[in-house]
Amino acid sequence: MVAEHEQGLDIVDMPINMGPQHPSTHGVFRMVLVISGEKVVDVTPHIGYMHRGGEKLMEAMDYRQGIGYADRTEYLAQFSAELGYCLAVEKLMGIEVPERAEYIRIILTELNRLSSHFMFMGAFGIDSGLFGTSFTYAFREREYIQDVFEEVSGDRLMYAYFRVGGLAWEVTDNFTQRVHEVLKKTQKGIKDLDDLLTKNEIFMARCQNIGAFTADRAIAYGLSGPLLRASGVNWDLRRDEPYSIYPRFTFQIPVGNYGDVYDRYLVRLEEMRQSVSIIEQALEKLPPEGPIVPEKMPRRLRTPPGEVYAKVESPRGEWGVYLVSKGGDKPYRLKMRSPSFCNLSALREMTVGQFLADAVMILGSMDIVLCDVDR
Amino acid sequence: MLGILRSMGVTARAVFRRPATIQYPTVHREIANRDRAFPILIWDEEHDEPFCTGCHACERACPVECMTVVMKDNPKHATGESKRRKIIDEFWIDYGRCMRCNICVEVCNFEAIGMNNTWAGHELSRYDRSELVMDLDRLLSQSKAKKVEPGLRA
Amino acid sequence: MLLAAPSFGISQPAVRALLALIVITMVMTVAVAYATWYERKIIARIQQRLGPTRTGPFGLVQPIADMLKLLVKEDLRPADADPVAWELAVFGIFVPAFLAVVAVPFTADWLVSSLPLSLLYLLAVSGLSFIGFLMAGWGSNSKYALLGGMRAAAQLISYEIPLILAMIGVVMVTRSADVYSIILFQDRVPLIVWQPLGFLIFLTASIAELERQPFDIPTGESEVAGGVFIEFSGIRWSMFQLTSYVNMYVFSLLGAFVFLGGWEWPFGRDVGWGYQLLLTSAKMSLFIVFYLWARATFPRLRVDQLMSYAWKVLIPFALVQIFLNGLFIVYDPPYVDAFLLVSSGLGAAALVTLVYQSVRVKPRLPLQMFSNTVEARSVV
Repeated sequence: MVAEHEQGLDIVDMPINMGPQHPSTHGVFRMVLVISGEKVVDVTPHIGYMHRGGEKLMEAMDYRQGIGYADRTEYLAQFSAELGYCLAVEKLMGIEVPERAEYIRIILTELNRLSSHFMFMGAFGIDSGLFGTSFTYAFREREYIQDVFEEVSGDRLMYAYFRVGGLAWEVTDNFTQRVHEVLKKTQKGIKDLDDLLTKNEIFMARCQNIGAFTADRAIAYGLSGPLLRASGVNWDLRRDEPYSIYPRFTFQIPVGNYGDVYDRYLVRLEEMRQSVSIIEQALEKLPPEGPIVPEKMPRRLRTPPGEVYAKVESPRGEWGVYLVSKGGDKPYRLKMRSPSFCNLSALREMTVGQFLADAVMILGSMDIVLCDVDR
Repeated sequence: MLGILRSMGVTARAVFRRPATIQYPTVHREIANRDRAFPILIWDEEHDEPFCTGCHACERACPVECMTVVMKDNPKHATGESKRRKIIDEFWIDYGRCMRCNICVEVCNFEAIGMNNTWAGHELSRYDRSELVMDLDRLLSQSKAKKVEPGLRA
Repeated sequence: MLLAAPSFGISQPAVRALLALIVITMVMTVAVAYATWYERKIIARIQQRLGPTRTGPFGLVQPIADMLKLLVKEDLRPADADPVAWELAVFGIFVPAFLAVVAVPFTADWLVSSLPLSLLYLLAVSGLSFIGFLMAGWGSNSKYALLGGMRAAAQLISYEIPLILAMIGVVMVTRSADVYSIILFQDRVPLIVWQPLGFLIFLTASIAELERQPFDIPTGESEVAGGVFIEFSGIRWSMFQLTSYVNMYVFSLLGAFVFLGGWEWPFGRDVGWGYQLLLTSAKMSLFIVFYLWARATFPRLRVDQLMSYAWKVLIPFALVQIFLNGLFIVYDPPYVDAFLLVSSGLGAAALVTLVYQSVRVKPRLPLQMFSNTVEARSVV
């Protein structure tokens, strides 16, 4: 707080509390902004409202029970979290996942990326001031995707479908056909949101040159995912440190130039289109029959002692699992490297010096998931 | 200016689409066969007793420890009507703690538990949290009345 | 000409005026209540959902339900609120809106009072409402309200100017500041043809005066919700909302009369009050639908962008329109109408293409796309 004396009057910067309850969907997150007129001078984020002790709880869960918890950590990109968890245990135990299970995993993970980016589009439109139009369009498309997920796994949000070694149970008979239908329908949704937002001059005026972050600052802060790529850093875990069967598909990775909010939006929009392309390729190559768990799968999963770090490219960035095991069927320590937490650390540098209205846009463009930040 | 006109065109086109709203609770959407609402116990029609023998497998496997199982000697085994030596005596599931992960269904040796996949399994609002603890009769009621055919088994 | 039709045989002008005022107030209150219904339905259809459906058939009883709920709500008052400013803020906004209805001619015979300078009166009265916003913002003793109030005052004052300048252009062409005469002037061609630039400026400035998207910084954002109206609940809040809709009606009527020809074009005065009322309602509805459509479609402008749009874009173009009008009136060339049409049309086209002068959208590099084969990999 700066107090100056001018003609006998005190000039003080005003602290404003953007409290734990937000009208937009980001979750329980508190930001204390100190503004001077309309410009933000300081930002202090307060997190921890959603801390549930997930990592400690997972120390008491074996490797099948823990999948439900991994879901609940990243509630918008659940399959990425489940995939990361399963990859860690499979790496430690040296299990190889059968072909069909790999393909289905990729299809579901990319569908989940699509639905998570739809959610981003919807919420970002609301942050920028649209009265809810983008939200309903985005959620209409998400409903189609969630219908497929419900048919396959049984739940609309917390799937718990992947298992160590493959999948929990076989997919439905009309899975390929349903996914084709969904892809066709969501093309319309992507086009709608694109037409509504991308070239809209008001939206561009709100997004361009806001919260610009250069490439070296982005690397210094440890950002990942669309934020990093929008800043011009050509890094994507699916290509640079490949996991699962991503090397078999050809897709493109969008990289921005300016690192501002508009570039992040464009990167996510383009990622949606690339996800659709990956799913189509995977559907073509999907083996029509095959096991979904390896043949010699132990009944009780016991990992050898050791430690492993496995990471996946979730829609938010690099979601990693650092697993320390002392033998036995439960982890000794399981740490989840959450992308939202690391991305949020850059909030202060991005926001200071911008206008008050931009603080909301910058927070929206980071696309954080509070369960991920607090675990 | 074109961008603004394009946005207005999108919203104008959307007016003529069919709305996506369903008038719940008058109309219920169709839910998938594999839908996981909450666990229920299955009734064995042939032997007129539950499939569940109270073996505690699901109770041990549950991540949130929401079940309590008590078994007893099966009176029907003594008379030779049924092959199950033990049968379930008391079974409580706290629906407020259940996270619907389906692990109990997977580990069951007797295919005695399944996930309710009807709307009745979802519409379980209560005013008091203690009313969400379901006992054996409530858990068997849906299957006894033949209202439920769970999708995913084992 | 006082309210001729339902006069009930009363001859004293004062009593007839009072009766007319009562009728208009009641009609406007019901009309704005159902404007909320209409808005919710239209915005819902734009968003691919249904609006209110359960309260009454098609949700028609919804405004009444809302009104009842707001009436019985507890009347909270912040302890530190400034007593005078906070209490009277509602009236400061509410009263000018209803005052404006006095000078509006709904048909050729139906008006409350015929003022020789009714356009001036309308603009002056609608400009008074910013005092209410300031009082609400200051008196609430809350940071958000203060921010919202200051922004509201700045926005309303700034956008008054292009509005008034656009109207001055109209007055120059029609040589009269009376809405009634302006309507009569348009018996063959509506004024939108001669003043397209003025019309566009009026449209934009009126959305800003109504504080609707994309100009709704004072209400709606202010970082959480509500802005100026954070501390007002129950009946006070409903009065603010209704005032917003009364203003919407007033501006729609103004636009319909001044630019679209009102009840005079295309059929003239002899058609009878039924058709005239129909024409008025139809033209007013065009404006209202446009306002609702814009609300559901556009994101919000930031405060500095909003202000620079008013001062750097709208005002210069409004002055250009006035200059053109003056040029043609003074020099009076042959085919003056065609000249005015062409030049004003060019001005409108220029405004449309230079929408955001202040935030000049510079051409940006497109996204770079890298293939996922490892050879294409390079960091930074």
